Order: sequence, then C-alpha cells, then structure tokens
Amino acid sequence: MWRFVIAIVAFAILARLPVGLDAGFQFDAALAVIWAFGILSLVLLTGYAGQVSLCQATFAGVGAYGAGMTVASLHGGYLLAIVVGVLFATVLGVLVGLPALRLHGITLAMVTLGIALVFDRYVFQDHLFDWFTGGAGGWQVSNASLLGISVDSSQHLLAAYDVLLALFCICAVLVVNLHNSGAGRRFRAIRDSELAASTMGVNLTRYKLLAFAMSAGMAGLGGSFYPLIAGSVSPQPFWVFTSLQLAAIGVLMGVRYVPAAALGGLFMAVVPDVLTRYGHGTFLNRAYEISFDWFQIAVGVLLVLQLILLPDGVWGDLRGHAARVRNTFRFKRAHEVTPA
Amino acid sequence: MSAFAAYTIIGLSLGGIFALAALGIVLIYRVTGVLNFAHGAMGMFSTFVAWQVFYGYPHPGMPSWAVTAEAILAGLAFAVVLGLFLEFAVFRWVRNRPQVVKAVITIGVLLALQSAASLIWKNNQYHLPIYIAPQTSTFMLAGVPIGANYIVIVVAALGLAFGLAAFLQRTAFGRAMRAVSDNPTTAALWGVRVDAVGAVSWVLGSVIAAIAGILITPFINFDTTSLTLLVVDSLAAALIGGLVSLPLTVLGGFILGLLETYPTIWIQSLGLPRLIALLVILTVLIVRSPRGLPGVAK
Repeated sequence: MWRFVIAIVAFAILARLPVGLDAGFQFDAALAVIWAFGILSLVLLTGYAGQVSLCQATFAGVGAYGAGMTVASLHGGYLLAIVVGVLFATVLGVLVGLPALRLHGITLAMVTLGIALVFDRYVFQDHLFDWFTGGAGGWQVSNASLLGISVDSSQHLLAAYDVLLALFCICAVLVVNLHNSGAGRRFRAIRDSELAASTMGVNLTRYKLLAFAMSAGMAGLGGSFYPLIAGSVSPQPFWVFTSLQLAAIGVLMGVRYVPAAALGGLFMAVVPDVLTRYGHGTFLNRAYEISFDWFQIAVGVLLVLQLILLPDGVWGDLRGHAARVRNTFRFKRAHEVTPA
Repeated sequence: MSAFAAYTIIGLSLGGIFALAALGIVLIYRVTGVLNFAHGAMGMFSTFVAWQVFYGYPHPGMPSWAVTAEAILAGLAFAVVLGLFLEFAVFRWVRNRPQVVKAVITIGVLLALQSAASLIWKNNQYHLPIYIAPQTSTFMLAGVPIGANYIVIVVAALGLAFGLAAFLQRTAFGRAMRAVSDNPTTAALWGVRVDAVGAVSWVLGSVIAAIAGILITPFINFDTTSLTLLVVDSLAAALIGGLVSLPLTVLGGFILGLLETYPTIWIQSLGLPRLIALLVILTVLIVRSPRGLPGVAK
C-alpha cells in the first residue's frame, strides 16, 4: 500500500518540478525519465534476473525509431506509435534473449556489447535500413497528439513529460511488486544459481526470455517517447556509449533497487547539461571550462570506486545505513522499557 | 583476380591488428581473470600519445626515422605507465571478486579513458598516420604490389605471438604467469609473487594494445571512439582462440580480418564488418562453447 502512496506523491512532486524552467531544462526532465526507464529495465534484467546487458540504449533506440517510423512514415497516431515502439523493442529483446539462454556473465556482456555496436554503426546508419531509420536525416515528428492532448515538443513539452512520468511511476510500482511475485522469485532464483533454479522446476527458457522481453519493452517504452520530446530521432542518443553509460550508472546507483533508476536517470540527463551551461567562467582570475566530457570521466571513475568500496551501489549503501540507524533506535527503545 | 589479392592483403593486415589486440586481451584474461573491455581504450590513449609526439610539435633537424622511433617509444612508455597505474590503483583491490564485477570495472575504465581522450584530442577524425616503414616502399609478390606497412603488421603480429608463447613456455617468469593463470592460490603457496605477475601481465597487455593502435593508424581515419570500439573485433578474435590459446587467437584475428574485408568487395558499408564480428562472437559462443570460459552454460 505504501508504495502506491509514495509513487503518487513522487509523481505529484516531480510533475511540478520543471514547471517554469526554460525549455532546455524541461527537455532534460523528460530525457531523465527516458534514461530512468532504461535503468529501470536494467534493474529488472540485471538486478532481479542476474542477466548482464550492455545494450539497453539499443532497445530504447529501437523503440524511438519504431515510434518515429509510425508517425512520420506511416502517419499513425502517437498512441499507435508507442505500441509499435514497445513491440519492436520487445521483439529485439526476445532475439537477444535467445543466445542468453546459453550464456551468462562476461560472455553475455560480450554479445550484448556486440549487438549495441551493430545497431549503432550498422542498423541505425546503413541505407539498407532507411525504411526504419528515415535515412540520414532521421524522422521529424511535429504536431503529435496523444488521446486528444497535444504533446508535441515545441509547444507542449510538459504534457509529454507528465504522461511519461506517470507511466514511469506505474512501471516502477510494477517492478517493485514484481520482486516478490511468482515471476520475480523465479528471476531471483535464476540470478542466484541457474542450476539450482532449474532443479527446482523453474523453466529457464521461459523466464530468461520473459526477463529480456519485459526489460527491452520497458526500455523501448521510454525510448518511444524520444521523438515526441526531441522532435526528431537520430542515432547519436542511442549509440553504444549510451548503453555503456546506462549500465555504468545503473550499477553505480545500485542495480537491485528501483529508486536507483530514478536517481540514475536524473543524474544522467541533468548533470551533463548543467556542466555545459554553467561549467565555464573564471575562478580566481583564471578561466576554466568544464565540458560535457568530464561527466563521462566522472561516471567511469565513480563506477570503479563504487565497485571497489560500495559493492551494493549508492542507493543500496544508503539503505544499509538507514537500516543500521533504525536498528540502533529499536535497540535503545527496547532497552529503556526493560525494568532494571 | 588482382582485386581479390589486394583485398586479401588488406584483410590479413587488418587481421594482424585484431590478432595483436586480441593477444593482449587473452594474456590479461588468462593471468588475472579480468576480461578487459577497456583494451581498445587503453590502446587508443597510447596511440594518441604517440600521435601527439609525432605531429604535436616540430622536430627540427631530426631524421624522420628518429621522429617515428621517438613517437613510438613515447606511446609505449605511456602504455607501461597506464598498465601499472591500472594494476596498482584498480585491479589489485578487486583480485578476489567475481569475474563479472571485474569486467564491469573495465567498462568504467573504458568510459573514463575514452572521454578523457575526447577532452584532449576532441572528436575529430585524424588521418595523419604514423608510418613505421616509408609509405612508398612496396614489395612485389606474385605480381601484386604490397605496401611495406602491411608486412610490418603481419610480422609484428606473428612475432609477438611467438615471442609471447616462448616467454610463457621457456622463462621462469612465464612459468610463474602460467601457474597463476591455473590457480592463484596454489601459485602463491609455491612462492610465486602473484602481485608481480599481475602487474607484468597488465603492462604487457597495455603495451601490446598500444602497438596494435599505432600500427592501425595508416589504415583508418581514426578517432577516439573507433579505436576504443576496436575491442569488439578483438574480443571476437580472442574468442576464436577460446580466450586461452595464443596461436589460435592469432589465427582467429587473421580469419576475422579476411571475413570482414571480403564482403566490402561487393558491398560498401561501414557498419557491415561490425555485424560480421558479432556473428563470429555468437557462432563461437553458441556452437563451440570455449572450454576456457566459465560463463558458458554446458
């Protein structure tokens, strides 16, 4: 029950947050939710089911291109576009899940990195796939509307943001609920030991494919909003380094915890923009410039430090501290009521 | 027919690069258990250091071979420092952690190195290569002219592979490295200095990555990302060798180079070679299931 209240309160606060900010920060807010979807999909896939993936941005990109194609080339409505985007991403997820039936750990990491690279350099850029990617210019999306509400990027960016945020809150609650459901318990059994899970009667094929399909669909759902908020689709946001960043930030924030997804999405979208905007000036009469590249350096260095020092991620570490504080208080109270 | 021969030569030299890069991956993986996704990024950074020395400032009065030698030595020296730094600052602290965790750490290293390089050298495409041999010198083989730079790559790949194999088989330190790769605990009990072995394999791996990076500069318009992403092709070549065997890895590099080059006779596509690399990775992992890999379900 509490998780619904938290989700609704979080939605109410976050939906008001970018109101009144300039268009750039409103775009960042919407982008933050898209990357939060990407990391949420990683929480399900890596945190629950224990499957490594370095191609989550590819799933999001396929969702974005699917949606863009539906609107710009087939002249469908945006609701249809989202359905198509999610469908494409889910299908790709199942296809990626097929080799994963026989692989795990570092071998799966190699395969998914290869897939991310193939989509980045080949599918999203080659003329063979112009029907899907709209050629060199990509798809242009304007005057889109969703269930009668105008949600196009130039005028009604916040409307798109609200819809996206509401969907994220729903998905986040779903993923939290999944943790102790039948499927969630099977996912975690697979994560802890595939052999033990299959001995206990977990259908490895079905549940591994299910994890990949759900995860890819979720990343694709976020990605399918990209043409809406950016007005166009291009390969750059979904290239292989975004996939690596998603994995890095997911692990950094704590890949087993749903709130880490929101935290990670915000971090990934807002910090680079703040750096490019305010990262230059003079300090003690010396000009300095902190460019966007420093963000990725920081992500890499923080990831290395986190894996050495705090293996459970930032959110997991905070949770651990909170639990320890609670326990101390509980002990004191028990001590006080005990008659001397 | 001569077109076919020309593509074969290009494919073999490209394969030589893959083989070189893959040798470093296999060496580091076997000895330290780290699957190094940052291998391309490490080679990239060292290559750019060499490039900076070569083109960055004037060398008055120096003959061109001396400038080349200076640039290559600078790149290799940087590679040594980088390898030592990674061993002492990062991987020494995670020796007993699961393989996946170590692999994810290398992704952090990749991201940091790549963006540090793009901060220094921007995202331009460079096409000012470092030639080992003069660009104009060619050999005639069966009526086909072969650039000396192509031969340098193939010779370097084969030489390093056999050199490394001899080092591992014949020297005391090589034996120590093989002992650690078999079982670090047992090796430590026998008095092998596991830390020293780890440091040497990181330095060797880093230097080999730098050699591969420097040798590839005459053949591609290189930038910070393309050299970093070379790691996928190198992983494919390393997988053909099962991540264990050095000779098979070199063979795998050459095979992959040819496989990636021949389709470009008919299809001009920049992305197609990546698809071939992925197919090779998938084929090897699904069909052959390398023994050296614990990550493969039997």
